[in-house]
Amino acid sequence: MDKNITIIHPRPSSIVASLYTLRDLNVDVAVLHGPPGCSFKHARLLEEDGIHVVTTALDETGFVFGGHDALVNVLHKVNEMFKPKLIGVVGTCASMIIGEEMHEPVMEADLDVPVIEVEVHAGYRNNTKGVIIALESALDVGVIDKTEFERQRALLEEATNVELRHGAASREYLAPSRGDVKYKVAQRIIELLKEGKRGLVIMNAKKETGYMFADITVAINEVAEQLGKADNIVNMANIDEKLGLPRVRHHAECIANDLKEKGVVINENIGGLDEYPIAGNTVDQLIKDKYSNFDFAVISGVPHAIPMDHISNMELISVTNGPRQVLPLKEMGHEHVIVEIDLHPKTLGVNHIVESEFGATLREVAKESL
Amino acid sequence: MSIQKRIAIYGKGGIGKSSTASNVAAACADEGYTVMIIGCDPKSDSSITLLGGKRIPTILDLLHEEKDVKEEDVVFTGYNGVKCVEVGGPEPGIGCAGRGIIVAIQTLKKISKTLNEMDLIIYDVPGDIVCGGFVAPIRKGLVKEAYVLTSGEYMPLYAANNICRGLAKINTPLSGIICNSRSVSHEKEIVTKFASEIGTDLMAFIPKEQIVQDCERDGFSVMEKAPDSSIAQVYRDLAKAIMQRDTSVMPVALDDEHLRELTR
Ligand SMILES: Nc1ncnc2c1ncn2[C@@H]1O[C@H](COP(=O)(O)OP(=O)(O)OP(=O)(O)O)[C@@H](O)[C@H]1O
Ligand code: SF4
Ligand SMILES: [Mg+2]
Repeated sequence: MDKNITIIHPRPSSIVASLYTLRDLNVDVAVLHGPPGCSFKHARLLEEDGIHVVTTALDETGFVFGGHDALVNVLHKVNEMFKPKLIGVVGTCASMIIGEEMHEPVMEADLDVPVIEVEVHAGYRNNTKGVIIALESALDVGVIDKTEFERQRALLEEATNVELRHGAASREYLAPSRGDVKYKVAQRIIELLKEGKRGLVIMNAKKETGYMFADITVAINEVAEQLGKADNIVNMANIDEKLGLPRVRHHAECIANDLKEKGVVINENIGGLDEYPIAGNTVDQLIKDKYSNFDFAVISGVPHAIPMDHISNMELISVTNGPRQVLPLKEMGHEHVIVEIDLHPKTLGVNHIVESEFGATLREVAKESL
Repeated sequence: MSIQKRIAIYGKGGIGKSSTASNVAAACADEGYTVMIIGCDPKSDSSITLLGGKRIPTILDLLHEEKDVKEEDVVFTGYNGVKCVEVGGPEPGIGCAGRGIIVAIQTLKKISKTLNEMDLIIYDVPGDIVCGGFVAPIRKGLVKEAYVLTSGEYMPLYAANNICRGLAKINTPLSGIICNSRSVSHEKEIVTKFASEIGTDLMAFIPKEQIVQDCERDGFSVMEKAPDSSIAQVYRDLAKAIMQRDTSVMPVALDDEHLRELTR
């Protein structure tokens, strides 16, 4: 694949990536230094997750004369309003293009709270750049240590590669698609189970999206149980509670607890919730060693990160939350691709597994066919 | 009313654009034309010698104060009725002066009736066109023709040549080259040759004279303070030539080697 293609479908920006990273670092407030509308949709969503996202609201005058005073003022304001323990300040195209210096206003504001300064704009080809810049700054302030930083950096490099190989950055233009009809795919899974076929249920989720992808694992296990085929299923999931930033570890713990409570046994724990770019290799090795004769696999989360090497002879059903991911997955050889549309907003601010559309469909179809 | 002339004077930083612009503005006013000078430099020094050394509030000053800008707040009458406007801008090293010019020009276009009543509008721009904002007057259709000011030295000619290349790129016709002398040898020949090779004419050869700086220090143009000096006559002739000029060309820039050869 050509790494130098210009991708013409819009993708999440580095600014947004920085915001989510700051959230994982448990900042209480993130200040966007830029125009009032920048990243508003994600800013709103993040409030669901318990972090306040505010803006310095630079206007035309701010562009021309700079936003030094505006940033100092907003820092004072949020410090009073929210009494934060950790603050992030995030650049935008507008402030970075006019050469705004964020360190000076942060010094001038002179708060008793550590501030992570993220000099980022939306112009980077890979939005993982926004994560790296945020982490570098967090390292400087002492919010994370060098080991965790290096671990994250390696993961991000892999994440970028995954997207370049088979993801949203793999093609000049990827048309969004709603994927296959959930009802039909649910029927097919039930058929396979009834026929006594053996299946792998693999969740390779990115961080909080696991709250919904895990529901698909739960639903398949429930249905297999009802059909008396529970033994034909092997579950894999990336829910290692000891890996990742505090918030991410907490998500793993919550999901693991729920699974346990619902009686779902994860046979293979394939890594941390932030290890979706590399967990695919673990999965590949496991299948090669132990499960190569399975008949089908349901892969949720970031299915395109699982190498095709040892699954290509299985019937593949994948569940993604990216409408632009449908085409690449089909091309990789996944027979059925379904999209959990709007998954992400529903997984913010929760600490329990939330019902997925596909999970719900599967449960209904199973009722009819029993 | 005759056809309105809207010109900009480009040239290397410090070569004398502002003093030439203000003296030409004054000379045209003396001839009975209505003239406006619009300073597009954050330094705001284009009109100062037409206003007895006084500074006027700039468009961006007022926008910064979030005021509702009206024409009378930013258009001031200077020497012999010349209308003076300064765009202004942020302090050096802060914010974005280029964006500032764009915003100010849009504002001026919206609020100024006088703009359309002038016989001549001169845009005085800063030396280097460093970003899109600095060509906003052209892009927004407020400049119809350009003059390039240079001396016979290599670097100013090099800058002038680059400007010509830029003008062609943004489809702006060049109406002539003006030489502001730095008293180098064969200067007039060099610049005359340069002008003709670019495809245009030398409009004037302005000598280097102390009196320009003396008047400037006191806050006046030569036209006002020393109307009988020989250099005042040069500005007068240039002003007439500009007002009568009816040809312009798409300039063709010279290649580097050729340009070097020209100044040897
Ligand atoms: N013909 C001249 N004889 C003597 N001095 C001159 C002449 N023309 C300009 N100067 C002087 O040269 C200096 C620079 O001129 P001016 O400010 O007009 O240049 P400029 O091209 O507008 O500069 P900038 O690019 O910084 O705007 C001034 O002090 C001015 O008085
Ligand atoms: S262009 Fe950049 S600064 Fe403007 S809204 Fe988009 S991301 Fe934000
Ligand atoms: Mg000047």
